Parts: sequence; C-alpha cells; structure tokens
Amino acid sequence: MKNNKLIIAAAGSGKTTFLVNQALAVESGAVLITTYTEANGREIRDRIVAKKGCMPSNITVQTWFAFLLQHGVRPYQSVLNDSIHSHDIGFFLSSEKSGKKLDAEGNPVLIKGRPIYWGGKDFLRYYFTSRFNIYSDKISKFVFNTDKATKGKLISRISRIYKNIYIDEVQDLAGFDLELIKLMFKSNSSVILVGDPRQVTYLTHHSTKYGKYANGQIKLFVEKELGKRIQCEVDETTLSASHRNNQAICEYSAKLYPDLPAPFACECDSCRVDDAHVGVFMIKPSEVDQYLSTYKPVQLRWSSASKINSNFPALNFGESKGATMDRVLIYPTNPMKEWIKNNAYALKNEGRSKLYVGLTRARLSSTIVMDYQESNCIDGVTFFTFTGNVVN
Amino acid sequence: MRIGKVNIENYKCFEGRFSAFFNEGINIIVGDNEAGKSTILESINLALTGVLNGRYLKNELSQYLFNYNVVNTYLESLRQGQNPSLPEILIEVFFDECELPLFEGNGNSEKVNGCGVIFKIEFDSTYQGEYEALVAEGNDITTVPIEYYKINWKSFARDSVTARSIPIKSVLIDSTSSKYQNGSDVYLSRIIRNDLEDSERVKLSQAYRKMKDTFIDDASVRAINEKISGKAKISDKNLSISVDLSTQNSWETTLMTYLDNVPFHQIGKGEQCIIKTNLAIRHEKSKEANLVLLEEPENHLSHSKLNLLIKAVTDSCDGKQVIISTHSSYVANKLGLENLILLNDQTVTRLPELPTETFTFFKKLPGYQTLRMLLCRKAVLVEGDSDELIFQRAYMDAHGGRLPIEDGIDVISVKLTFKRFLDIAIKINQPVAVITDNDSDYANKITKKYKDYVGYKCVNIFADDRDELNTLEPQFVDANIADLATLCDIVSISSGTYDTAKKVSDYMVGHKTGWALKVFESDTALQYPEYINNAVVWCDEK
Repeated sequence: MKNNKLIIAAAGSGKTTFLVNQALAVESGAVLITTYTEANGREIRDRIVAKKGCMPSNITVQTWFAFLLQHGVRPYQSVLNDSIHSHDIGFFLSSEKSGKKLDAEGNPVLIKGRPIYWGGKDFLRYYFTSRFNIYSDKISKFVFNTDKATKGKLISRISRIYKNIYIDEVQDLAGFDLELIKLMFKSNSSVILVGDPRQVTYLTHHSTKYGKYANGQIKLFVEKELGKRIQCEVDETTLSASHRNNQAICEYSAKLYPDLPAPFACECDSCRVDDAHVGVFMIKPSEVDQYLSTYKPVQLRWSSASKINSNFPALNFGESKGATMDRVLIYPTNPMKEWIKNNAYALKNEGRSKLYVGLTRARLSSTIVMDYQESNCIDGVTFFTFTGNVVN
Repeated sequence: MRIGKVNIENYKCFEGRFSAFFNEGINIIVGDNEAGKSTILESINLALTGVLNGRYLKNELSQYLFNYNVVNTYLESLRQGQNPSLPEILIEVFFDECELPLFEGNGNSEKVNGCGVIFKIEFDSTYQGEYEALVAEGNDITTVPIEYYKINWKSFARDSVTARSIPIKSVLIDSTSSKYQNGSDVYLSRIIRNDLEDSERVKLSQAYRKMKDTFIDDASVRAINEKISGKAKISDKNLSISVDLSTQNSWETTLMTYLDNVPFHQIGKGEQCIIKTNLAIRHEKSKEANLVLLEEPENHLSHSKLNLLIKAVTDSCDGKQVIISTHSSYVANKLGLENLILLNDQTVTRLPELPTETFTFFKKLPGYQTLRMLLCRKAVLVEGDSDELIFQRAYMDAHGGRLPIEDGIDVISVKLTFKRFLDIAIKINQPVAVITDNDSDYANKITKKYKDYVGYKCVNIFADDRDELNTLEPQFVDANIADLATLCDIVSISSGTYDTAKKVSDYMVGHKTGWALKVFESDTALQYPEYINNAVVWCDEK
C-alpha cells in the first residue's frame, strides 16, 4: 500500500533513527534513503550497519545529488538534447547561481557591474560546465523537464526501482526538488519525508521557483501545492520528544522558533546520563582554553575563518547537522550575540538555523563563548566561570 | 526475462552493424561456415559476462577482435593523411519481457527507451594526447592502437555494470574447443557458482579458506617454514611458504570438478557437453534468468548422446532461453524448424508461420536434410537415389564434369515429402526445383498436387506430362530410344535379350539404383529426359 508522509520534528527527536527503523522494517521491495549532505548519508549508513551488521541489499543510501545524477539525469540524458547522447555526464557543485557568461579570458561578462547568465535556450551552457558536468542548482530542473519529455517514464522507472523513497533533512530541498517530490508522491512509491523547518542550514540551491517554501516551509508546500489528488499525511506529533537534549537545552533552543511546538526531553533511561555540568552556559573568551581541557566540548563555528582553539576539534555549524555530541562550545556571530542578549532581535533565517543546530547538538551542555557582565541576566543561560562562583 | 535483440558492430566477422532478434525458448542459428554463428554466441556471452574464451576480456584486449575490413579502412585513410575516427566495437543486448528498471533508459545506439546492456570497446579519450602524438609522428601505424582502448560496459541507464549485476546469466557451452584445459573449467565453475545462493557461496569460500589454514598449520609445513626462514637470511623479514589467500573466490579457480572421480576436463568432450548443458538448463534460481548458448552440439556426440542432449534441452527449457548454432539438420528438425534463424551475408531470415504439421512432421522424422535446402544457393529436390544420380550426371555433362554442389546447387533426396520442403522454401524465398515422376496421372499428381505453389517464383516443378511414361525409367529409355544398344551396354544387359523399350525399362525398374549408378559412372554420355534437362538449365538461370 502506497503511503506518503511528511514528518516534522525538532532536533534530536530521532528523525534519522525513525527512517532507519522504517527502512529495516521493509520486508519486500527496495528502499532509497536520500539526504542532502554526504555527512548525513554516512551517518545513516553507519547507523544501519550498527543495527544490522551490514548494509541490507535492498537498502540504498545516496545523497540527493548522486541519486538525481544516477536515476534522474543519466537514464534519459539525451531526451532533451540529442547531442549529449554519448557523453559521460558528471556533476558540479555550484555555490552560487551557475551559468555565467564569460568573455574570451574567462572573466564574467558584466552589464552595469552585474554578471549575466546563459538562458535555457543555450541548453548546453545553461545546464552544463564545459566538461559536461551538470550544475547542482539546475539538476532538478533538468530531471523534471526530462521526465515531462519522457511522459513520466523517468519517475516511473525510479518508482519501480524503489518501492520506498525516504528523504531525510527534507527542509534542505528547494525549487524544482519540490516538483520532483510532488511527482514521487504521485508515483507508486511510498514516500516519507522527514525534516525540521528549524534546520535550514543548506539549500540545494537558491531558486525563485517555490521561493516562498524555501525557508523550512515544506509543510506549507505539502498543504498548498499538492492538489486534491495527491495525498500526504503531515505528522508533527510522533516525534515530539528529544532523545538528545536535556530539558534546559530543549527550552532554550525552542526560543528561536516560538511559533513551532517546543520539544521536551524524553524520559528514556537509556538516553539520560547523570552529570554535574548540564544545561546552557556562557563563558568568557578568557576561560575557553581551560574549559576546553576540562570538559572537552566540540567547538562549533560559523566557518573555517572563525577563530577557535585549533588544538581541539571543531566543526562548522552546517557540518554538525545530524551529529550528536556530549558537549558543544559555540562561537556565536555578532547577530547571534544580539539575539542571545535580546530574543526579540530579528536574527536572519540562516543565522537562526545555525544557532539552533549548534545548540541542539549536545546531550549534556551547550556553552556559548561570549563576554558578559555578571550583573546582567541573560534569560535561559547560566554564566559559568572557573573562579568558583557560578552566577545565575 | 530473456534477450530480445542483439546489435553487433565491427566485432570479428561483422563489418558494420548486424542485428538479430531472438525468441523465447529455443533459437537455432544455422548458416554456412564463416557466416558468424559462433561469433553471435560469443558476443552475446561477452556482453553479458565480460568473458571471452574463458577469460575476462578486460586485460586482454586485442586488435583481432576488430573486423578486418574496418581496421583496414581506418589504416588506409590514416595513410592518406586523413584523420579517421578510431574503430569501435559495440555489442548491445536488449532484454525483453522483464521488469528491470535499473537497466532501463535510452543509453543505447538506437536512442530508444529500452532495457539492456551495452558493451563497447572504445578509444579511451584520456589518451587523446598520446594518440595525437602517435599519429603526428608519421605513417608507421600498422594496427589499431589497442593500448589506448578501454571497455565501456553499461546498462541502458548509463550505469556501469558487472557480470554479477546482470540478472540474465549466460553460459556458453562450446564443445568444439579444446583451448581451455588448464585447471578447473571456467564455464563449469561459473555454472555452479550461478546456481549457488549467496549463503552457500559464502560457506564454500569459508570451507576452502579453512582447508588452506589447516595446511599452513600442519606440523610438517611449519617445520619446513622454520627451515626456509633459517636459511634465507635475505633480510630481517621472514620467508615462508603458504597458500594463496589473497583472492576472495579462489575456490573457483583451484577447486576441480570430478565426475565419478575423474577430473572433469579428462572426461570425453561429448560427456562434458551434456553435463554442462544439463547443469545450465536445470539452473533454478528464481530471480535470475538463464541463457544457454550452445555451440554445435552435434560435434563430439554420438547419435544417441545427441538425442539425449536434445531431449534435455527441449524438456527443461521452460522459462529459459537457449540459442544453439548447428550444422545438423537433425538437430534443427528435432528442436523445431519454427525456431530457425538463417544467417547469410550478415543478414538473418526466420521461418515465420510455417504450417504446424510441417514442423511437427520434421520433428518426428528428423532425418530429412532440411538445412541443406536452406543453406545452399539453389536446391534440387528429387525423389530417390536414382533420380539424384541421373540429375547429377546430366548436370555434369552440361558443365564440364563439375558436380552441382560445386556450384552451390544441392541435390537432395526427399522421398515423398516434396510439399513439406516446399512449405519451408516459400517462407524464405529459397530457389528450389522439384524433379518428380508423373505416376501416370499428370493432372492429379503434378498439376493438382502443386497448384498451391504456382504463384511462387522460387518453386519450379519439373515433370513430364506424358502419363504413359510414369517414372524415371521409362522416361530415360524414351530419351535414349534412338540408341537402346548403348544404353543396354552401359547398364550391362544384353541388347539382344532386352530388345524393346518396354523390356529395358522393366529391367531398370527392377534394378533401380544399380542402373543409375552405372549411368552415373559411365564414360559415355547418354541422353536425358527433357524435364531433367530443363532442370539443369534452371540451375544456370540467374
């Protein structure tokens, strides 16, 4: 029986575990688990292997782009343009809008100081690099158009390969990705999407298509855009407890998204550890080194340009998505600091998401590196210092 | 799940593109020597397994795989200073009646949505620079620069494939070859391996590994190793002997298959062929289809063994596809003429919609030489031995002593089955002559009997309409009536005793083959009935 589902849940609530368990419970038919980042793909694979001892032959874990390249682009790659029938099409991860027109020296052609781009009529240059690598921001459009040109053969092929299609971190998908999801919903496969609107740290691309659903509004997309004939159940309650964060972290991180239901810490014995240093803390930069050697937190930062103590492990906020750590040490950006001081501050989507992701990595303690005045009180945060006085 | 169509390009005897369609169940490829029967089987097997002559082709690419003319054309235009594109080999197998979405796509040379695999031997463009340098150097390229070639083996979805990932398991059983006698038989172990479930395969590998471990651990082996490492003071490191544990599936190459304690490759070729075929067609893994490619099974097999083999193939080919190449009419008749694929000058012909009773007739009486008629340039059907001898002699007299077969004209005795043969001939438009008696009733035995074939240009009936001359003997006597004495002389009877046409004719009827043989061997040429002469003339027509 075909069954489409969108599961929305907060960080640490076991979304990935849920998908893994669903996949392992499938008795007949192949399962595709796909997600945007390589790191999360590895995490999913590791969890399956940890549970099962090996990767079952009916489960495939693939990043979204790898999946699109293998099953979306290549099988019918020449349907839109016959000239690429025999090419080996590769992939190009484009961090900005792709397909800039270049002059003879390879510099962007500028008009009034702005770059101009190839349009869809220049098919090859619009979709591909000169070596026939397809641009990441256009791959889903290519796939969508190819499916249309094959009268649905492309999606039908996919749904005959994978009876079950599970997409993790669905909030990362945007634009034509959503059209593809719509087609998969319509196909014979059961599609389960899980995601957290709070964690839009990456987007597959910045598209004007469906732009209003880009910032974690996948639920709205499912409710508004599917039409009457496509069914998809939205589930926001099954995964409502955090198996990772303690109550203090749950409550503090929830302040970032007051409109969404706040998760609560679970009461599973196996998830909860007794420890003296638990909660959300703030320390002064002067005490970072001592804090690092005492508690061994993982440092989380905006980008590799951010200043940290390089003797201890560090990750960018985006990279840490999906991971669980005992303790984290967060280096906030200036806008993040503004929000920490005053929760009414209009922190932008990306910063808000990344701060949320950072805070919710820890099982025990999330500690923010930031200068503070002992006299000022910061809501939800405990000041921490090694001089002995822990000030509230 | 089966193969439906095969395209072959520039491989061995196939210059340019060759295509053939295959039915489910049994397919019989017949054709002259060098027509490419074996090459078809070989290339299908190559595209499905990557194996050629029992070895993986990957590291054994050779220029001899390419069609000779294609290579020459390439070299010639290179010599003329042009920049020809490098020849490529393509073998493409379309699957049919299958649900294999992983193999679906338009990544085939026909650019159609289909399901299958494409196997190419093509220039590796990473060597573009080297190749250009080679061409620039001068005119000393004398062969395809095979060292710059690679194998490109993909599904129609443009995904790389391996022999394991292809669900149609092909086995080529080639009883003619004695090339691969070293160690275990690759085909046999492949057949066995294909039949094993994964868990069984793992168990076998483990048992093999255990056996090796036991060997290394044996006291005497250890003693020997101590001795070796004591002597060989080459470095600080230890030298020892052991068994090769490096390859995962090494049992396949080292384990030997035995039949009644005789190593498999030591038993007779015929027996080998039967066992392999049986193993292959009894294969029962449900998820995979099996394709059995059988090359000229009549070789090495006695008539009774051949029967056993054919029975095995017909009995258990349910759901399996079998492609057989053969020269034997017997094999073709038995397996069903409706399954014939005629191969001629790189084109294929089938026998579509043959009347059912015709092929069941030949199935029951498989001794008839159906293939001979199909494969020759022109066929002359005669009733019996004496007709055959007389026609041949008439032909020789008109052609300076050349036998008709030397001109591609096959004379076949078909007894009373003319119409069965004609049914086949008209399906493939094969030029055929019938030389027959009027049996005293030309109106019925000739005109009426063959009225269904009147519209067919390929069918020519030669008979005499004088009812009183009912068979060859009176016809022959009539033709030589002017000089009965010479005729009597040649058939060794006294012209005194046999002094009338009636008497000579009666004698000859009583000694049917005897007189014809004498005429055939005689130094003196005689006269032949007009209808036979007409048939000889027909042979020379374009």
